[in-house]
Amino acid sequence: MAADLAAEQAAAAEPAGSSEAGTSEAGTPAGAPTAAPPTVAEQAAAAPAGSAGVRAIASLEGSGAPGPPILRWDGAARTVAEVEAELARIWVSPEARAVVAAVANEEQPGRIVAARSSVLNLVAVARRPEIGQRVAAEIATLTGRHPSRTMVLVPSDPDGPAWFRARVRAYCMVSREGSAETCSELVYAEAGGETGRHLAAVVAPLLVHDLPVAVWWPGDVPFGTRLADDLVGLADRLIVDGSSWSGDGLDRLRVLAGVARTVQVTDFAIARQARWREAIASAFDRPDMLPYLGSLRRISVAFATLGGPGAEVATNLVRPVYHVGWLASRLGLRPAGRLRRETRKPSARHASRSGAPDPGRGLRGTLAGDRGRAVDIVVRPVVSPVPPGSTLRVELLAERRGRELRVEVTGEAEVVRVRAWHDGIETLDRPYFAPRQTEIGLLAEAIESGASDPVAHAALEVAAAFVTPGEQR
Amino acid sequence: MGDDPRSKPASGARPSRAASDRPLTARAARLARLEGRRRPASRAQDNPLRHGLRLERLPDPAIFVLFGATGDLAHRKVVPALYQLWRTNLLPPEFVLVGAGRRPLEDAAFRAAMRRSVADHSRTPLTEAAWSSFEQRIHYQRTDLADPAGYEALAGALDELDRTQGTAANRLFYLATPPSAFAAIIAGLGGAGLDHEIHGGGWRRIVIEKPFGRDTMSAIRLNREVGKVFRESQVYRIDHYLGKETVRNLLVFRFGNGIFEPIWDRRYVDHVQITVAESIGLEGRGAFYEETGAVRDILQNHLMQLLALVAMEPPATWAADALRDEKVKVLRAIEPMGRPEVAARVVRGQYGPGWLAGAPVPGYRQEPEVHPESETETYVAAHFEIDDWRWTGVPFYLRAGKRLPRRATEIAVRFRSVPHALFKNAEIDPEPNMLALRIQPDEGILLRFAAKVPGLGLDVRPVNMDFTYGSSFSVDSPDAYETLILDALLGDASLFTRADEAERAWELVTPILEAWAESPPPDFPNYEAGSWGPAEADALLEREGNRWRRI
Repeated sequence: MAADLAAEQAAAAEPAGSSEAGTSEAGTPAGAPTAAPPTVAEQAAAAPAGSAGVRAIASLEGSGAPGPPILRWDGAARTVAEVEAELARIWVSPEARAVVAAVANEEQPGRIVAARSSVLNLVAVARRPEIGQRVAAEIATLTGRHPSRTMVLVPSDPDGPAWFRARVRAYCMVSREGSAETCSELVYAEAGGETGRHLAAVVAPLLVHDLPVAVWWPGDVPFGTRLADDLVGLADRLIVDGSSWSGDGLDRLRVLAGVARTVQVTDFAIARQARWREAIASAFDRPDMLPYLGSLRRISVAFATLGGPGAEVATNLVRPVYHVGWLASRLGLRPAGRLRRETRKPSARHASRSGAPDPGRGLRGTLAGDRGRAVDIVVRPVVSPVPPGSTLRVELLAERRGRELRVEVTGEAEVVRVRAWHDGIETLDRPYFAPRQTEIGLLAEAIESGASDPVAHAALEVAAAFVTPGEQR
Repeated sequence: MGDDPRSKPASGARPSRAASDRPLTARAARLARLEGRRRPASRAQDNPLRHGLRLERLPDPAIFVLFGATGDLAHRKVVPALYQLWRTNLLPPEFVLVGAGRRPLEDAAFRAAMRRSVADHSRTPLTEAAWSSFEQRIHYQRTDLADPAGYEALAGALDELDRTQGTAANRLFYLATPPSAFAAIIAGLGGAGLDHEIHGGGWRRIVIEKPFGRDTMSAIRLNREVGKVFRESQVYRIDHYLGKETVRNLLVFRFGNGIFEPIWDRRYVDHVQITVAESIGLEGRGAFYEETGAVRDILQNHLMQLLALVAMEPPATWAADALRDEKVKVLRAIEPMGRPEVAARVVRGQYGPGWLAGAPVPGYRQEPEVHPESETETYVAAHFEIDDWRWTGVPFYLRAGKRLPRRATEIAVRFRSVPHALFKNAEIDPEPNMLALRIQPDEGILLRFAAKVPGLGLDVRPVNMDFTYGSSFSVDSPDAYETLILDALLGDASLFTRADEAERAWELVTPILEAWAESPPPDFPNYEAGSWGPAEADALLEREGNRWRRI
């Protein structure tokens, strides 16, 4: 039986442990840990049908010393009840404990190890198996700064017969020299047919009670569908990446602002702009520059596009619109009307002259401040090889007492550069070393912060209001 | 007139202290602290774009004048911390680092040396782009510390940098020199007028590294020397322990949770143990340690600071002086010991040869630079009593030592036993509850309580509820020096030691040093390297029916 197998492995681990430290002997059980998790889906597919296969995995390699997460438990399940049983078994089964204890005590005598981290539940929804695998692999690297339980859900074939299969794993790691080993659980569940359309029913019984739930939805969120509404309804925090949405992304942006009134929302597209925000803010740290913030005339944001036919509707505009939303919300500016496509027709002349593809039309609008102050907003496409929708430049133009201040912030992979001109004379030029954040870094930040971010929320509100159709058209 | 109306941030967007729904994290505490911070007069107006950003206020442009720039501390801690702050854009673009030292060095040579120290000691690898921009902000000024003319030259060089680099006449003097040089440098700075704050802009601050003296008299003398030149509000005495994440979290733990403060007194607490254990030996600092010993190295500063933070009353605000007032009150509530108390309540120790982590290690007297009959203590355990409304009768046991079995800093609060043994048939009585705050390594909080052993009988066993920082938060906490240097640049003194605090801590430990100086240690070495200290330290607690918590 499966339990016997685990016990055998525990027994096998012990002599290995009591001999010289660290060497993984021939007795190391099958499925020796790998730093990068193997494709979970493949193994889920390979799991024997019908019964749950249980394995506790132990090896001395890497335990007790800081290193990448190690797979400590691996099992399969065919029903939600089996998943529950499997999760419980990781922490209560004598054989699993024996394995963990054997590994631990040899390495660090007198040390209690293998604490399950208790921070939150993370539910990731992947539209396709390859996204699910990428997400599972990324989350496994987060063990140690990690939610206690992660569920990766892969709905597929909504019209086929109902089916469900899952893989249950525990990853453990020692984050620093001398610290206890912490473990987190990963449930990789695939569901088809009716079951796949009711994933909330799969998730609810598997949540660690009393801990907040974060739902991470990479790519397009099907707002308005039963699947999305149910899962968002379970969540305390919804994590999305608006810059990955299809089309211009602005419809989803409006919906997201509505969701954000009830659920905390983290949008990687806003989070990623932190380096821009710091750079822009830094230009106004100087007392001689600060007063100009009160007399802005124009904010213009240039974004990348591939250009050519169709680029106008296919280029995601979420990022440039967030820049505007943030600046407006900080400066107390309100949208006056809607941010609209420029009326200019695509210029054939431009295309023929430069030979470059036509960038298409940008957006224009106006923000209103106190005492009738108006700030022009220009969101302008620029043909560029960088991924479409990326911000290339944010430019602020202000006039005060007859003097003009222009602040220009440009971003590259590693550096954000701030430059300023007073009446055309350069007065500031500073590079900011701020590498683009990775998705996994952003995810870690989102699940760690816990608190709502009033600045991001205000930026989202204003951005959404600015692109919501009102009286115009 | 004619000033433009200033824009206001959107209402409710600015984090306010009233936002009580925010979970209490160290970051939240920091935000609260940032808010409670007094704004210097030079920054009359806030930048609305900074609200909610990582740093709500960037330090003012300033020159960081580093004395002892070629020394060990500067190399290992200060310069890497500055680089880290620069790399993460927490310093203003007009920041300038000036190394001041006796050696004749060109800027280029000094930069190369600083580069090496960053490459060796930074917690993130040196990146070429960040370094090359930081490097341009580094200068070297040869300064003979004993020669008044040297300070005049320094003052001229700094004024010149103000003109060319836009550093706005703000200066932070950082003394990373041996303490013997402090007085001369401070007098030299005063002689050249480098302490004068210019009205309407231009602050001057001085950061002093511990030790702040060798005993009460020398601490008072040092403070007097400092006070002749600088006002107390300009002085930042750095004890890097206070910059550690967990020490700051101690405040959040005590005052951000409703359930602990009501039982944080003599009615519920039986005793408190504070341990600073090191497994390392002297690491090549034999000569330094011969002069210092465990009392001066750890007890007077780190242990006393931890004691004050554990025992103090809640401060009214996060303002620097409110916090420090409360800490000083605790230290004042401790009666300095007389000779008999020292004999009865303080234990000293020195390690002999032994085994640590499976390897033989030499005894203290066999270490390099150590006198073969040295009487320097490498271990101290002491029992302090705080005579105030909250703590009278609760022993505070403090211990610190080198070559102990493992490195651990921890505060353990043991609560009183249950008044009535209800489970008479149980094989063992329930152990009293205990709350342990681990500061390093493996930062976290552990609560021990009693639970029933499953089965038909009624047996009671203690179990642990364990919170590990590493398992809940990112492990990448800033280095203590980064936190503290940034605070000093921002003008926030709450995590720095005030003059009266340092003096009072010396008043508490000086009687111990004096009593020991009169009577040579009887039996050094009296503990083996790799053991938990001398037997007398165990006896110290056993007399009162307690024992040291095994860590």
